[in-house]
Amino acid sequence: MSFSDKIYKWLDDRFKLRELLPSIVKHPAPENVISNPLYCLGGTAFLCFIILVITGIFLAMYYKPTPAEAYNSVQAIMTTVPMGSLVRSVHHWAANTMIAAVMLHMIRIYFMGAYKKPRELNWVVGIFLLLTVTTFGFSGYLLPWDQLSFWATKIGTGIAGSLPIIGGYISLILMGGTDIGAETLTRFFAIHVLILPMAIAVLLGIHFLMVRIQGISGRL
Amino acid sequence: MTLIEVEKHEVEEEPKPEVLRVRGLPFFPHFLLREVVVMCLIAGSLILLASNYPASLLKPADPFDTPTPIYPEWYFLYVFGFLKFWTWNIGPIEAKIIGVTVPMILWYGLLILVPFIDRNPSSDIRKRKLAVALGIIALIGVLFFTYYGIVHGE
Repeated sequence: MSFSDKIYKWLDDRFKLRELLPSIVKHPAPENVISNPLYCLGGTAFLCFIILVITGIFLAMYYKPTPAEAYNSVQAIMTTVPMGSLVRSVHHWAANTMIAAVMLHMIRIYFMGAYKKPRELNWVVGIFLLLTVTTFGFSGYLLPWDQLSFWATKIGTGIAGSLPIIGGYISLILMGGTDIGAETLTRFFAIHVLILPMAIAVLLGIHFLMVRIQGISGRL
Repeated sequence: MTLIEVEKHEVEEEPKPEVLRVRGLPFFPHFLLREVVVMCLIAGSLILLASNYPASLLKPADPFDTPTPIYPEWYFLYVFGFLKFWTWNIGPIEAKIIGVTVPMILWYGLLILVPFIDRNPSSDIRKRKLAVALGIIALIGVLFFTYYGIVHGE
């Protein structure tokens, strides 16, 4: 008995791997799903999400969410931190790719009619994921605290703020005041690195669980 | 004792699951292999893009210096474009209110309701001409307002 067999047996005695693994490993995927590249879009978005988590953690180690320090810390990431420029640029490109992949994934689901019974609720969760992902992008845009971030956020909060009834509350909650300042930056930072990651983890969990239970809608 | 009997009873009542026949290949290794290949391609492309077109960093934010033109992120351009496009008041409702409510609240509400509006059970593209036509119109609409947003940037 080799060493890996011993590890397997040790785990098998405790977690019944013999019963659990085949259902995961041998779970059939429809043939057209494997051959058609359109089915890669959701997985692409998920891979981007993983890359964003990893690069995001590294960026958070150097980033300082105050108006006085934010710009300088991002500049330091781009110039002096080893591999910092690459990590921030990958974060930037993975974010844009993820949003594009989520949108294309949604377009595929729509035109293939994959949202139909029994998958109605998974479509609804998907729309909330789209909202979460675009809010991720919106909140991350302000963090470098350069001219582009500041004025794009000005437009964004302006648009959200002019919604009837709820607009005023949304803009107050987002900005923490009447103008974009130190409060806005720390709020956007908290939303970007604490609130939204938790939200997307829960939504993704539900999304994947439903796909697993209901199977992939497999026809074109 | 009673509880155990109830549980047993329920188990007996459950119909035996039928053997599901799916024409397909196992998750491991076939499906996973394709996923890993795609993941390598995506990761490689991201590193290539990142090293050739690094993320930008402009001048520090200055609340007293408005740059021109200014745009929101590309995925919000259609909202921005619609707001610029819609300049008509409807009765007592201001044009600006319509301009933000339609692409944000109404559009997302409509998207959420898609599976409940489209009751046609067929997923054959030839049998759902209306849904496909509406989908294409929505796509063209979003692209048009995105373009409008780019052209009419502040």
